[in-house]
Amino acid sequence: MAAAQPDRRRLDRLALTRRVVDAADDALIVAGIGNAGFDLATAGDRPENFYMLGSMGLGVPIGHGLALAQPERPVIVLEGEGSVLMNLGALATVGREATENLTIVIWDNEQWQLTGGQRLATATSCDLATVARGCGISSVTTPNDESTFEADFRRALDSPGPHILVVKIDATPGVGRPHSDPIWHKYRFMQAVGVVPD
Amino acid sequence: MTDIQWHNDIIDAFKANNIRMVAHVADTVLAPIISAMEDDPFFRVVTLSREEEGIGLLTGAYLGGIRGALLLQASGLGNTINGFGSLALPYQIPFVVLLSQRGSYFEHNIVQIPGGKVTDGILHALDIQTFDLVRPDEVAFVAERGMRHAFVSRKPVALTITTQLSGGKSGSRTA
Repeated sequence: MAAAQPDRRRLDRLALTRRVVDAADDALIVAGIGNAGFDLATAGDRPENFYMLGSMGLGVPIGHGLALAQPERPVIVLEGEGSVLMNLGALATVGREATENLTIVIWDNEQWQLTGGQRLATATSCDLATVARGCGISSVTTPNDESTFEADFRRALDSPGPHILVVKIDATPGVGRPHSDPIWHKYRFMQAVGVVPD
Repeated sequence: MTDIQWHNDIIDAFKANNIRMVAHVADTVLAPIISAMEDDPFFRVVTLSREEEGIGLLTGAYLGGIRGALLLQASGLGNTINGFGSLALPYQIPFVVLLSQRGSYFEHNIVQIPGGKVTDGILHALDIQTFDLVRPDEVAFVAERGMRHAFVSRKPVALTITTQLSGGKSGSRTA
């Protein structure tokens, strides 16, 4: 099972997620299902984090709707390549709406890591950076070391987007877990946004 | 505004409930309503690639303080099920689902009938409360109160534009 072995040529998702949290200030972060959220919970759990506990494929749309509703606030989506592949059409919507305050980080280790490392199309034939550009997203980068990632990410937060960073990562499992109660996440996050729920 | 009163009654019900974010996969019945909302600065209208995407978009909008509605043909309801089951329902995210019915009166396409027949069953299985828009003179009341129910119940609520009201895809009945 070579896919399950850490690959030294690739970046470590947790180390990069720590850099995301450090740079985020009060930006809102939406984490997709699985390891994206696991590592966010480890790197820096904060009320401005929203964790998707199910709904694979909807991380980008959640962040997009949030960015449209909060246009003055940077919104970051951390999402795995498997989830992005499940709902590729969402990238076309982001490109067309040209939502300026949205930054999407795609963690790509070319596999469904949580389900046993089944190899995905990004391992061979599918280049998500090309897909993103083809969806009309002009700011697409593919950082391949930690310092370049941080520089790209900070530039994204400080300039009009939408931005997409496609990052090849290794297969180190995420060890943390977000709180298991969706209602708790909902109210904690809305309070951090400054919204009074119905 | 359109020249059909029940269209405007639905749009007014959105406004009365402060529903500003509109995500849609259009059909010919919904098209004039969507077009009128695109022309109205009250609304932010987003055209989706797929219906399920709307569940995510409206969840994000709600978390950010903007109420929303998903407009879709009933045949697209099947594309939304996991979004309801693992996001909108367990997180208690309220929004309005405005469905254009297929597979009933005026249906001309046999492939729309099996899906149309299970629309109510899918909504019932998901425990999504549904209100039917049937008579033109009742639309204002049912739409406004039905939409309000989503935010009272903290769940998505469905409003079905029946083919009895719309005349179906042909739009033959417009009164």
